[in-house]
Amino acid sequence: MPEIHVDSLVKQFGEQRALDDVSFDVAEGELFTLLGPSGCGKSTTLMSIAGFQTPEEGRIEVGGDVFYDAARRVSVPAERRNLGIVFQSYAVWPHMTVFDNLAFPLRVRKTKRAAIRPRVVEVLDLVEMGPYIDRYPHQLSGGQQQRVALARALVYSPSVLLLDEPFSNLDAKLRERARAWVKELQGRLGLTTVFVTHDQDEALSMSDRVAVMSQGEVQQIGTPEEIYRRPTSRFVAEFVGNVNLLTGEVAATERGRIALEIAGGRKLWIDSERAQQPRAQVTVAVRPEALRLEAAETSTLNGSNTLDATVRSVAFLGDHYQYELETGDLSLTAQTPRAVFAERVKVHIPADACAIVE
Amino acid sequence: MAQVTTTTYEPVAPVRRSRSLPTAGSLQWLVWLVVVGLILGPFIPLVYASIRDRPLYEAGGAFTAGAYRDLLSDTAFWHAALHTLEYAALTTTLSVVAGGAIAILVARTDLPWRKALGRLTLLPLLLPSLGIVLGWIVVWGPGGYLSSLVHTHLHLGTLDINTIPGMSVIEATRLLPVAYMTCEAALARADSSLEDAARSAGSSPIRVLRSITIPMLRPALLNSGTLIFTLSIASLGIPLLLGTQHNIQFLSTYLYLQWTNGATPDSPLVSAGAMLLLLVATLLLLLRNRMLGAEARYISVAGKAGRTAMLSLRMWRWPLAIVVALYIVFSTLVPVIGLALMSFVAFLTPLIAPWHLFTWSNWHILGSGIYLRSIEHSALLALIGGLVTTALVALATLVAHRSKLPTRKSLPFVMLYPRAIPGLIIGIGFFWAYLLTGAPGSWLRQGIWGILLAFCIRNLPFAYVVMYPTMARIGEELDRAGRSVGAGWWRTCRSIVLPLLKPALFASFVLMFVEILNDYDPALFLVRPGTEVIGTTMLDTFLQGIVGPVASLAMVQVGVTVIVLAIGTLVLKVRVTGGHDA
Ligand SMILES: Nc1ncnc2c1ncn2[C@@H]1O[C@H](COP(=O)(O)OP(=O)(O)O)[C@@H](O)[C@H]1O
Ligand SMILES: [Mg+2]
Repeated sequence: MPEIHVDSLVKQFGEQRALDDVSFDVAEGELFTLLGPSGCGKSTTLMSIAGFQTPEEGRIEVGGDVFYDAARRVSVPAERRNLGIVFQSYAVWPHMTVFDNLAFPLRVRKTKRAAIRPRVVEVLDLVEMGPYIDRYPHQLSGGQQQRVALARALVYSPSVLLLDEPFSNLDAKLRERARAWVKELQGRLGLTTVFVTHDQDEALSMSDRVAVMSQGEVQQIGTPEEIYRRPTSRFVAEFVGNVNLLTGEVAATERGRIALEIAGGRKLWIDSERAQQPRAQVTVAVRPEALRLEAAETSTLNGSNTLDATVRSVAFLGDHYQYELETGDLSLTAQTPRAVFAERVKVHIPADACAIVE
Repeated sequence: MAQVTTTTYEPVAPVRRSRSLPTAGSLQWLVWLVVVGLILGPFIPLVYASIRDRPLYEAGGAFTAGAYRDLLSDTAFWHAALHTLEYAALTTTLSVVAGGAIAILVARTDLPWRKALGRLTLLPLLLPSLGIVLGWIVVWGPGGYLSSLVHTHLHLGTLDINTIPGMSVIEATRLLPVAYMTCEAALARADSSLEDAARSAGSSPIRVLRSITIPMLRPALLNSGTLIFTLSIASLGIPLLLGTQHNIQFLSTYLYLQWTNGATPDSPLVSAGAMLLLLVATLLLLLRNRMLGAEARYISVAGKAGRTAMLSLRMWRWPLAIVVALYIVFSTLVPVIGLALMSFVAFLTPLIAPWHLFTWSNWHILGSGIYLRSIEHSALLALIGGLVTTALVALATLVAHRSKLPTRKSLPFVMLYPRAIPGLIIGIGFFWAYLLTGAPGSWLRQGIWGILLAFCIRNLPFAYVVMYPTMARIGEELDRAGRSVGAGWWRTCRSIVLPLLKPALFASFVLMFVEILNDYDPALFLVRPGTEVIGTTMLDTFLQGIVGPVASLAMVQVGVTVIVLAIGTLVLKVRVTGGHDA
C-alpha cells in the first residue's frame, strides 16, 4: 500500500481560488480525512488526486508514481491512476446489475472470463451484498447502493481509496453503522484512504488524521485528539465542536505557562510551550466539557483559574447537561455528565485544557 | 470480535492498453472536425462563388463585388425583399399571437380537453409541410373544393390564398407550433404562485392575465417570434407554389428562379443573394441567443407542475375549446382530407360527387417511373440519414458535454446553427462544395448521397435538441466512476453514457427519419434526373400542373410519417416533438 504526497496545489475557478497552496501527506494504510464546511475545496482536492480536476500548480504523487506535476507538465489520465473512488451520489450505473457493475472494471482490465465471477462474488461477500448480485440499482436501498459502490471501488484492488462524503445521503442511524463498518473494513484491508466529509463527528470518530480546510486552505493537520483539544486557529476550534473562546492580555510568563488577564481583571493560567510577548492579546479555546462545575455552597474548588458564576440556563441533552454561565461580563458554556443543582456555581478552567488560537 | 475473513486482497492485473489504438483525444478532434467542417464548410465556396465574376465551373474569372452590385441595383430584388418582409412580419404576428393564446389556454385555464388540444396543435411540425400546403391549395385555392362550395352556396368570398396575407395564414399555421411550444414550456417552468398571489390579492382573472402572465411570457414570445421570422424569411415552398403563379416574388423564390431560369445558370448573383440572406439569418440567431441568456435570468424555476390553480373560463370554456378545435380541424385535418380525397379522384370539384370520379390511377402511377424512384430514394435517405445523423450527433454531443476538448464549447452553437439557415442556402452551399471538391464531390453530386448529406446537416439541430436534455440528466459522476475504474473516454461513453442515452437516441432517429422524409428545399438545388426525392418530384409535378399524383405522393408522406411516429411513441415510447423549440 502506497503513501500519498500532495504538494502546494493551487486551483482557480475564474476569479475564485478554490485551492490555495494545499499540501499534505498520507501514510501507508492511513485513513486521512479532509474536513471542512461545504465549498471549502475538499472535493476539488479529492478530484485532483483522482484526475478529474487539473490544478494550475502543485504536485501529486501516489506510491512513487507522479500523477500530477505542474512544473514538469505531467498529468496521468484518470483511468490510468488505478484508484478506487466512492462518489457522493454513489454513481452505481443504473443500467447494469450489481454483478455487471462490479465486473466492468475487471473486463476493462481484460481479466479472464472464468476469473470474473469468483472475484465479484468474493468482493460482494466482503461488503455483505452477496445475495443481491443480480439486482438492479433501483431495486436497492441507499445503504445497499453505497456498499455496491464501495465493492466496485475495491474489486480491482486499487492502490488507494478515495471517498467523497459517502455517508451524506444516508439517514442518521444507517450513517452511524456505515461509518463503523467502513472503518473496520479499511483497517482490515489496510487501505490507504482519503476521506472527505463536512461532518466533524464523522471525521473525529473514523480518522487516523484529519486536515481541516477553510476557503481553499488547509488550516490544521493532526490526529482527531490534536484537532479537538489543541486547535491552532479560531476557525478550527469553532468548526470542530462547541468551544469557549476567551481573550486576554498576557500578564505574566513562567516556564511552560503564562497568565492571561481576562475580563474583570481576573487571571487565567494556561499551559503554553511558546513564550508570549508581555501585554500581547491572546485568545484561548476551551471545550465546554473540560470545565469543572460545582455548586458554590458545597464546592471544594479553590485557587487559581476558578471563577464564581451564575447559571443562566440548563439544557438536558441526553448523555450530558449543558450550562450557559455568566461570570462578570464573560459568558461560558459548560457541559457535565451529571446535573449540578445550584444557581451560584464555581467554575474551574484547567490550565492544560486551554489552547491558544491566536 | 476477531472475525475471520477468507478474502485475499490481491492486486488484479493493471489496465492494459494496446498502444496502436487511437487516443480519445484524436477521436474527439475527429468528431469536432467532421461536424464543424460539414456544417460550416459549405459556406466557404458560397462566399467564394459570390465574389467571382462568373460561375465557378467556368474557366478563368476574377474577384469582383459585381454580383452584390447587380443584386442591389435590381428593382426585382428590392420588390422581393419588401414582399418577404411583409410576409415574414404577418406570419410572425399571426403565429405568435395565436400560439401564445393557445399556450395560455392549455397551460393556465380550465379549457376542456386541453391536453389533447395541446398535442394536436403540435401536429403541423411533424406532418410534411409541402403536402399540407398542397392540401390547402386543393381545398382553398382558386377553384378549390371548399372555396368553390362557399362561393356557390353562400355567395361569399374566401381569403384568397394567392395573396401575401393568404400565404401568411398558411405559413402561420405551419409555424404556430413553434410559438406554442416555447410559450407552453415557459409557462410550465414559470412559478404560478405569482399569479396565485395576484388572484388572492383580489385581481380579476383578466387582470392577472394582462399584468402577470403575458409579461412573464414576453421572453418566450420574443424568442419564438425571432425564430419564426427567420424561418418564414427562408420559406420556399409556399412562395413557390402560391406566389409565382401570381407574380409575387419573395427573396427565396427570386433566388430560386434566378438559379433555375436565369440568363446565366448558377450565377454569382444567386450566391450573393444567399450570402445576404445568410447574414440576416445569422444576425437573428445571435439576437436570439442573447435573448435566451436574458430569459434564463428571468424565469423562476421553482414552479411545480400540477399544483397550478387554473384560471376559470366559466361561460367561455366551451366556445373557446371549439375555436381551438376548429383551428386544428381547418389548419391540419381539412388539408389532409382534401389531399386524401384528391388522390382518389380524377379531379376534385364540388359540382360532381367524388364517388363518380373515383379512380385508382393516382396511386397506380406511384408504382413506376419517377414516382417510384422518388419514394425509394426518400425512404432510403430517411433510413440511412436517420441512423447516420443520430450516430454523428450522439458522438458530437458526447464531445460537447463529456470531454475536455479545448474547442468543445463551440459544438452546441455550431450544431444549432443549421436551424437558422434557410434550406436554399444549404442547397446552394453544398452545390458549390461538391463542385469544388474533385472526385468525391462529383460522386456525391451524381448520386442521391449528396442530397442525403445536405438533408442530414439541415436537420441535425433537431437530433441535438432531443439528445441534449437527456445527456444533461445523466450525472457526471456516472462517467467519472467509469473513468475511475480504468475505462478510457470512449469505453466509458460506449458502456455507460450511450446506453443511458438510448431513449433519446431512438427519439432522435424517429425525428430524423420523419424530417428527412419530408424535407425538400436543399434538394431543389442538388437534384438531377435520376436522383429525385418525394419533395422535389411533388414540387416539379405540381408546377407542371399535374395534381393527382402529387396528392397521392403527399399521402404517402403523411401515411409513413404517422406510422413511424405511432411506432415511435407506442413501441419505443419516445416523445419526439420536444426537438422543435430549438
Ligand atoms: N466546476 C466548477 N466551476 C466553478 N467553480 C467550482 C467548480 N467546482 C467547484 N467550484 C467552486 O470551488 C469551491 C470548492 O468546491 P468543492 O471542492 O466542491 O467544495 P466542497 O468542499 O464542498 O467539496 C466552491 O466554492 C465551488 O463553488
Ligand atoms: Mg463536495
